Amino acid sequence: MSDQKQRVPFRKAVLGLNGGPTDELVIHLGCQLAKVGNAELVAIHVIEVDWRHELSEELTTANDTASALLDMAEIIAESYKVRLTGDLLQAREVAAAIVDEAIEVGADAIIIGLPYRQRFGGDFAIGDSIPYIFQNAPCEVIVVREAVASSADRQTGSGQLVASGGGTR
Amino acid sequence: MSDPQKPWLHGRKPGDRRVRVERPHSAFFRYTGPGTLVARESASAPHTTSGRLVERIRHVLFGRRLSIHEEANERLSKKKALAIFSSDPISSSAYATEEILRVLVLAGAAVLLVSLPIAIAVAVLLAVVSLSYRQIVRAYPSGGGDYAVARRNLPRMASLVVAAALLLDYVMTVAVSTASASEQVISAVPGLADFQVAIAVVAIVLITLGNMRGLSESGNIFAIPTYLFVGSALLMIAVGVFRIVVNGESAPPPSPLPGAPALPEMLGVLLLIRAFASGSVALTGIEAVANGVPAFKPPEPKNAAATLAAVAVILAVLFVGITFVAYSFGVVPIDDPIRKTVISQVAAVIYGDGSVGFYLFQTFTALILFLAANTSYNAFPRLAAILARDGYMPRQFSFRGDRLAFSSGIVVLSIVALILLIAFGGDTHALIPLYSVGVFVAFTIGQSGMIFHWLREKPDGWRRGLAINLLGCSMTGIVAVVVLIAKAPTSLLVAIVIPILVVVMLFIHRQYKASAEHLAVRPDAVFAAPRRDERVIVPIPGINRAVIQAVNVGRSIAPDVRAVLISDEPEEAAEIRERWERQLPDVPLVLVESPYRALVGPMLAYLHVLDETWPHDKEYPVTFVVIPEYVARNWWERILYNQSANRLRRALIGRPHTVVVGVPYRRDEDPDAERVPEARHKPPAS
Repeated sequence: MSDQKQRVPFRKAVLGLNGGPTDELVIHLGCQLAKVGNAELVAIHVIEVDWRHELSEELTTANDTASALLDMAEIIAESYKVRLTGDLLQAREVAAAIVDEAIEVGADAIIIGLPYRQRFGGDFAIGDSIPYIFQNAPCEVIVVREAVASSADRQTGSGQLVASGGGTR
Repeated sequence: MSDPQKPWLHGRKPGDRRVRVERPHSAFFRYTGPGTLVARESASAPHTTSGRLVERIRHVLFGRRLSIHEEANERLSKKKALAIFSSDPISSSAYATEEILRVLVLAGAAVLLVSLPIAIAVAVLLAVVSLSYRQIVRAYPSGGGDYAVARRNLPRMASLVVAAALLLDYVMTVAVSTASASEQVISAVPGLADFQVAIAVVAIVLITLGNMRGLSESGNIFAIPTYLFVGSALLMIAVGVFRIVVNGESAPPPSPLPGAPALPEMLGVLLLIRAFASGSVALTGIEAVANGVPAFKPPEPKNAAATLAAVAVILAVLFVGITFVAYSFGVVPIDDPIRKTVISQVAAVIYGDGSVGFYLFQTFTALILFLAANTSYNAFPRLAAILARDGYMPRQFSFRGDRLAFSSGIVVLSIVALILLIAFGGDTHALIPLYSVGVFVAFTIGQSGMIFHWLREKPDGWRRGLAINLLGCSMTGIVAVVVLIAKAPTSLLVAIVIPILVVVMLFIHRQYKASAEHLAVRPDAVFAAPRRDERVIVPIPGINRAVIQAVNVGRSIAPDVRAVLISDEPEEAAEIRERWERQLPDVPLVLVESPYRALVGPMLAYLHVLDETWPHDKEYPVTFVVIPEYVARNWWERILYNQSANRLRRALIGRPHTVVVGVPYRRDEDPDAERVPEARHKPPAS
């Protein structure tokens, strides 16, 4: 019982940020959980590079947007007084890059966001990245799904999509 | 473009590769969007050893730099606001009674009885002024006090007079409060009498440092001394009244009366007026609540009005109560052999001279007076910043320092207060005539602004508001004139200082307005690239790496580049010319011999001649004067190099169609530079 009480959610977690509407949710949740166990966070944004470009090609516009995203994560983490480092990657496969980076930094959890959206008003769409991370990440995976109401608000124009590429395609 | 510097990181599966993107900006900036950066604290960090040392000292003295996002926006509850805003007005009860008695002792012991009716008359004036300020609080919830009212409703000159009077008022609050606090300390510990001015000076320096660190008025620490003073003073009055009324205790004033002339004056109207004018200092600071309405919790005007009423009631009770107890126990100000304030003597009578209660009360009194001084450190810089934004004071008053404090305003306030304090020998009584006039001028103009407000806006109940402000305006106007006359000649200084301040503010405004009009561009104008000839002049001391670098920079600016050597040694100049034509054949060298050994004059004259020879039908070209500079690595190297370059740059500032370009040569950037031994060394650019 006491073990359960003292168990911290993680010691180091990777936050997968995709520039979408769930990023703030992911960062706040990550910070709240990290605060419990004085854990460390690594915010990762992966710029997906298609095959027309070299993997190491400098994508200035995407970098600016991604940097703004990681900087926002740092600002939020500072408000929680939680250690967070930003990591900007370029890769062909976003989900694979997140899993590989989580392994490299020794993370024991990956936190990713899932915007609630329906394909053509029909089935709920989960994308490709989350299933990949579920299947391949050796650590715990925490998925934060935004509230349906937030999704509805966004569709009526009150939300703002920042950039493309990321964990929940 | 692929970047070969970026190493590929391999994943667990073949083909899962990724590249880490460096974010060199992240140490100094944060992106808030595409093309928008926000500087981090590290971006302002000094890079040199001396700079780091200075930064370290600043850090110890003033604390770390604060971001604008760290500004506290705490709203004050009525209880907290009462403590914070009342320290200035309530603290005046510590010396207001004494000011009345200092006048009345001139007419002998028999007339000291009049002190009580005078105190009551001042309390009535306080009631009227408070009622008037309640109108301002309700009509102008955005704060700003008298200056805001005057600016909105009265001609510009009136608002500037209010601003000048308020600035003076804030300076006087610092000087008077610290002087009085110092007197309270001396009254309790007479052994410190020789350090009276020093105590006040140290207090001002400490308060200044505290405010430069961004000392907030909203902290609980400010509420505690106010409540301690109010509580202990009310207790003192209650015990005093009990002993007087129930026990029938009383004491005659000492005989002979200290401070009384050999032939006492007759109790005439003039003496009464002077005593009333002296006692009216009790009203100083009552405007503080009206200035800070936005700091209250909602509903701001209602809470501010209630707080103002409470401050006025507490002040009136303390003032009349202390006056009553002082009179009943025959307390009068004593200056010889050691200064003893009236309030300290009252405390000695009630709590017992030398008792713990006495020392505690004196401590609380000194603390609230220091606190009252501190309120000006909030008000003066803010008003100065508003005036600077309106263009009536230098712009640096609106800039905030590392700790979000308006540093320029704080420093100026301290310096002026210190000068006054030292000039008047830390004597509260001598300073007070300067204090009251400015305050009542501001009161009067503020109330008259409200009269125009009611007549123009005519909201519900405007007639009642108009009547209150008319009464307030008339009474404060009369008191302003009375104080000015009764406290002459010292008070007349204010009548000189306020107009001077107004003239200075008008002058500054005219300058800013003229420059703004000159610099303004039409919003609909589209600016194409200029088509204007350009030429480059490189003043050289000889041939060295710094000169070559400057010439190369000049070549990148325009094709018309020429070097100018001003020399007083023809032989050496000829040698340089020979070398120049050999080593830099495409850049013409103009040799200007200067038999009078001047450098700057011939250079300016040469530029003038160049302009004169320019075709008159063509627009003058832009002349780039590219000055080679040798970057000093140490502070002492700065004395050795670039003195001529600095003189030349200063002389060229403001020259029409001339741009001065400094090209620094850094030894560290060229560590592998070949060392060339020369028979005759000439400094790089001395």
